[in-house]
Amino acid sequence: MFDLLPHLLNGLTLGLLFALIALGFMLIVGLMEQINLAHGSLFALGAYLAMQLMGSRPPFPAELAKAWIALPLGWRYAATLVIAPIAVGIVGMAIEFCMRRTYGKDPLYGLLLTFGAAMVIEETIRLIWGTRDYVLQVPQAVSGGFLFGDLIWSTYRFYAAGIAAAIIGVVWLVIEKTSFGATVKAGAHDSEIVRALGINLTRLRLLVFVLGTMLAAIAGIIVAPIWGIRPHMGVDAVIPAFLVIVLGGVGSFWGAVVAGLLVGLCVGLSGAYASEWSLLSMYILLVAVVTVRARGLWGKKSVLEA
Amino acid sequence: MTSTSPSLSSDATRLVTPAMLVLWLVLATVPLWISRVGLYPYLGIEILIWSLYALAFNLVLGTAGLPSFGHGAYFGIGAYAFGLCQFNVAANLWVCLVAAFAVAGLAGALVALFISHRRGIYYAFMTIAFGQIFWTLAIKSHGITGGEDGLLKIARLPADFGVVTFDLADNVAFYYFVLVVFALAVVAMWRLTHSPYGRVVAAIKQSETRAAHLGYHVWLYKASIFTLSAAISGLAGGLFAMAQLAAFPDVMSLHQSGYVVMMTLVGGGLVSFWGPVVGVFVFLIARDVIGALTNAWMLYFGLLFIAIVLFRPEGIAGAVTAAFQKHSLIRRQGNSAMRLLFGAERWR
Amino acid sequence: MALIEAAGIHVRFGDRVVLESIDLAVPEGEFHGLMGPNGAGKTTFFNVLTGRVKPGRGSIRLGGKDVTGFSPHRIAAHGVARSFQIMTLFDEFSARENVTVGLPAFRARGFDMRHAAANDSGFAESAMAVLATVGLADKAAVRARDLPYGDRRALEIAVALAQSPRVLCLDEPTSGLGSDGVQRLAALVGRLKGKLTIVAIEHDMEFLFALADRISVIHWGQVVARGTPHELQQNEWVRRSNLGRFA
Repeated sequence: MFDLLPHLLNGLTLGLLFALIALGFMLIVGLMEQINLAHGSLFALGAYLAMQLMGSRPPFPAELAKAWIALPLGWRYAATLVIAPIAVGIVGMAIEFCMRRTYGKDPLYGLLLTFGAAMVIEETIRLIWGTRDYVLQVPQAVSGGFLFGDLIWSTYRFYAAGIAAAIIGVVWLVIEKTSFGATVKAGAHDSEIVRALGINLTRLRLLVFVLGTMLAAIAGIIVAPIWGIRPHMGVDAVIPAFLVIVLGGVGSFWGAVVAGLLVGLCVGLSGAYASEWSLLSMYILLVAVVTVRARGLWGKKSVLEA
Repeated sequence: MTSTSPSLSSDATRLVTPAMLVLWLVLATVPLWISRVGLYPYLGIEILIWSLYALAFNLVLGTAGLPSFGHGAYFGIGAYAFGLCQFNVAANLWVCLVAAFAVAGLAGALVALFISHRRGIYYAFMTIAFGQIFWTLAIKSHGITGGEDGLLKIARLPADFGVVTFDLADNVAFYYFVLVVFALAVVAMWRLTHSPYGRVVAAIKQSETRAAHLGYHVWLYKASIFTLSAAISGLAGGLFAMAQLAAFPDVMSLHQSGYVVMMTLVGGGLVSFWGPVVGVFVFLIARDVIGALTNAWMLYFGLLFIAIVLFRPEGIAGAVTAAFQKHSLIRRQGNSAMRLLFGAERWR
Repeated sequence: MALIEAAGIHVRFGDRVVLESIDLAVPEGEFHGLMGPNGAGKTTFFNVLTGRVKPGRGSIRLGGKDVTGFSPHRIAAHGVARSFQIMTLFDEFSARENVTVGLPAFRARGFDMRHAAANDSGFAESAMAVLATVGLADKAAVRARDLPYGDRRALEIAVALAQSPRVLCLDEPTSGLGSDGVQRLAALVGRLKGKLTIVAIEHDMEFLFALADRISVIHWGQVVARGTPHELQQNEWVRRSNLGRFA
């Protein structure tokens, strides 16, 4: 049984990361009824920006850059965790401005628009950073490993899982316990109600979309040290995100979280026995669940299919 | 504007329309001049195959209004089926093409089982998820598909008609073979969209509720059109395997699946039967021409695509039609030409 | 025996009971009106009749055959046609094509992929005949979305008529029509009356009291009054509510 423990823990951390990646995506799908195909690209963009900020040549004017590099690594990392998502959020804002023209039309157009945005972002990344792999530096405190029960554990994995859990918790609190969350949820079910309550729907959508893209960037920064930074990282990340959301039921917060954990465990445990096929296990899980429960684990009958 | 449907009573009833004849004639001359304009015969093959694929895809997107975003899977499955059939079953062109058609159709039917009760974004979601499954399978099944290296050494089998046999190894010969398959498929799809079946599917696109209350088994229509579209995409994939002499998993990726949506939409597949073909021409030629000038052509194409989605969502064919309708003088003189080119009033 | 027979229909959405228990028996050839305040559950009852909503309890019989829980397309195939309060047309199709898709002969060939639909003169003739019934013969080639409101309402009914149904369910057919349109509609329904069984939800009391054989008043998910227009005018409940203003 103890043999399994590392795989179990590995699966749980992986699951939390999947849930984190899916989180911003899920917000936008569940609350705005838009599939953001650029999610993966924004995820990657967050990681690349963070890498640039943490590297030896930060994208600042000379004076500022000098001061920035003089900062201790931990401070720089903390600041990066804020700055990079904000930068990505601005890109998200630009996408939402374009997307406005598609509201009320066939949902296909929003999908295609974000696909176009994904193309542009990916190509931009390729033009700036090329196709080689990068490593994201992290502070000493969270890197390295420690010995426990005859096994070496990676500190960063635990740190990443902790951060993921914390962010999931914060997002849950914002949705469930604040008035902003309440209006967002009302808007998800009936935009008429939101209008009737005199809430600015345009601003609400912008906020939700920007929040979603910022979460993508944060996920990118957290995941980057584990999976590495390369052009393909966005696609690699967005596939499990899709599965997690379909599995959990579109629009269900806890559905996405539980599905993320399930997928993580599934991949982690199957990785113990047939590593080559560990990715396939999550597809089998998906097909099994969708066969029994067409709407996913927690899916409610959604406006999306009406 | 009130609209009558002159074309519906003429073109819609025809098996072969004037537009088809013109298109085929033009396409038949392509090998004669394509090298002289700085392009190459292989591009012609690529355009034909992708046109076939995009037309098949548009059965789902344009005719049925179902946003499938994972269609590359069936194109890819067709390619693999062609190669594997050639290696393991029979090295006969017809058998392998049928295999490409049938296996992709089977995969499509399997997916259709899970998704056909859905609509809109949720439908897109499921198609993406299943597309990703097939893509991962293709990459991970090293022993069968060759993984990321691809399934190599696929031969262009000779076209054996009993009395005569054509060798297709040469690009020009293969071009004409693809053209014949393309022409036959176009006739079939044109007839399909104008058959009672096609009209029912088009009706379901406009109102599933009404169609169900008129006694149509909506699920069955949605599942069957998806299956058919997947099968024809698979046929195109089989031809693509012949063209490339190999089958690669990249055509199954989310990106490549997105490209076919893009081509279809840019060309105007939502308003015109020929829209997807227009889109493929523009996309592939732009890729070669702009690609020769700058290596950032995807950036510009992405921006252009965003602009089209925002400002001209009906695509090129739609914009041309609108322009014709705006200028009545041109319309009077150009009406028949327009109909000839775009069959634009197909939906009325 | 009644052609359409609903017994003890009960529907709840979550913890909200929409229909408590509805009984309705409509004999062949009757025009039966349904009225009642908004939110009384009339449209939900229609949805149960036509298979859109499955009742929690109760049964639906059509000509003696139990069709409870059948999906909409099977109910339709049993000869029940409906129109919608919120117009549900094939907007990109011409008026004639809208009607053509409704024809049972067309439905029978729904999986025919080999012939051109427009080649079949039989479809065209039947469709034109239906359009003529509702007075849209001269607008056959106009796209549904381009038709004026009144004509769209007429087409809404024409599509249902195309099914040559045994039972025609009309959901607020006069909704949004001017007095002209209502008169035309009344004339049309007058002609159909007796030839087929009609169940109609309607707010226009004048229209309903003039045409219906019997009327059921639905309130709080139940039938609170039922009878001929004349009987209803005498009914104490109806007289006390504002529904009695035509009495």
